[in-house]
Amino acid sequence: MDNVQRVANLANAHALVAALEVDDETEISRCITALAANQRGSVFEEVGRMTREVHEALMTFAQDQRLNDLTKADMPDARDRLRYVITLTEQAANRTLTVVEAAQPIADRLIDRSVRLRTQLAQVASAEADNVRLVSVISTVSEYLESILKNGDILKSQLNEVMMAQEFQDLSGQLLMRVIDLLEQLEVKLVGLLRLTGTPVTQAKSSTDEADLRQGLGPQVPNSGSDVAKSQDDVDDLLASLGF
Amino acid sequence: MDRNMKILVVDDFSTMRRIIKNLLKELGFTNIEEADDGVTALPMLKQGHFDFLVTDWNMPGMTGIDLLKAVRADPALAYLPVLMVTAEAKREQIIMAAQAGVNGYVVKPFNGPTLKEKIDKIFERSSA
Repeated sequence: MDNVQRVANLANAHALVAALEVDDETEISRCITALAANQRGSVFEEVGRMTREVHEALMTFAQDQRLNDLTKADMPDARDRLRYVITLTEQAANRTLTVVEAAQPIADRLIDRSVRLRTQLAQVASAEADNVRLVSVISTVSEYLESILKNGDILKSQLNEVMMAQEFQDLSGQLLMRVIDLLEQLEVKLVGLLRLTGTPVTQAKSSTDEADLRQGLGPQVPNSGSDVAKSQDDVDDLLASLGF
Repeated sequence: MDRNMKILVVDDFSTMRRIIKNLLKELGFTNIEEADDGVTALPMLKQGHFDFLVTDWNMPGMTGIDLLKAVRADPALAYLPVLMVTAEAKREQIIMAAQAGVNGYVVKPFNGPTLKEKIDKIFERSSA
């Protein structure tokens, strides 16, 4: 706040106190209006300054090729990558679920047969109670069956745990889809911004910077184009063509 | 509770449908069908004589809450027991589901015993 304004504010504030003391409503209202008008003046100035800054930032923005690349190439690419993460986690979760589904009936059968065998053996043991050796063998086998039953239950609950852990795919997938949505909206807004600032939205550069290549691009997503090796065979072919 | 009752599991993630189906099988239910969102589920419900609906909330096409409202608005389905299994956990959403007439609400991540408990509760209440 400059000095002139400060002095004016102070004068108005003193006048306001004086007016309040004598309850002069017209004067009270005049002082408040004057104080508020002064305040508004600085708000307008501030808005003006911000507008200039935004304008300058937009101009710099518009001349930056990086923004164009970001909008036309990097953001769609990021979306593809995130979608691919969803696909990969889905495949991994389904693979695990297939194994669990195959193993569960095996555990069930083990338990089921052990129960039946235990009953049969108990019947034999009671019918052949005189045969000491047989009863002793049956008792040993029964103990073993008992352990199978106990471990079978543990195995089943462990398999269940493995299955429930695959729940991560749904939750992480939902989170990623939110981010994909956000990227999409951001992309639309950026394209709009580029148009507003009069920047022609051009095709992004197609070749990757050497610096990016050195940094590493991470796993490639499907449909990455013809310049990407899609399998070990592609890699071997390329190396063979280079004389390796 | 009738273990042969016909159940529809609705979720847009195939892995989650698979998990819920396995849990239901573990509880002794075998008559289970699947749908990937409300748009697919609603005609199935209208034609299929289902006894129980288990649905996710956040799905493309038609969401679980809209499916629930459509079910309650259909005189033939109005009394179908509906269990929501969802990651949506805002108080307002849970209240919204309750007001729309949900019978049970399970928040993901969840586990087998929780699912069993909610199902038991739903059918103990509706048979009482």
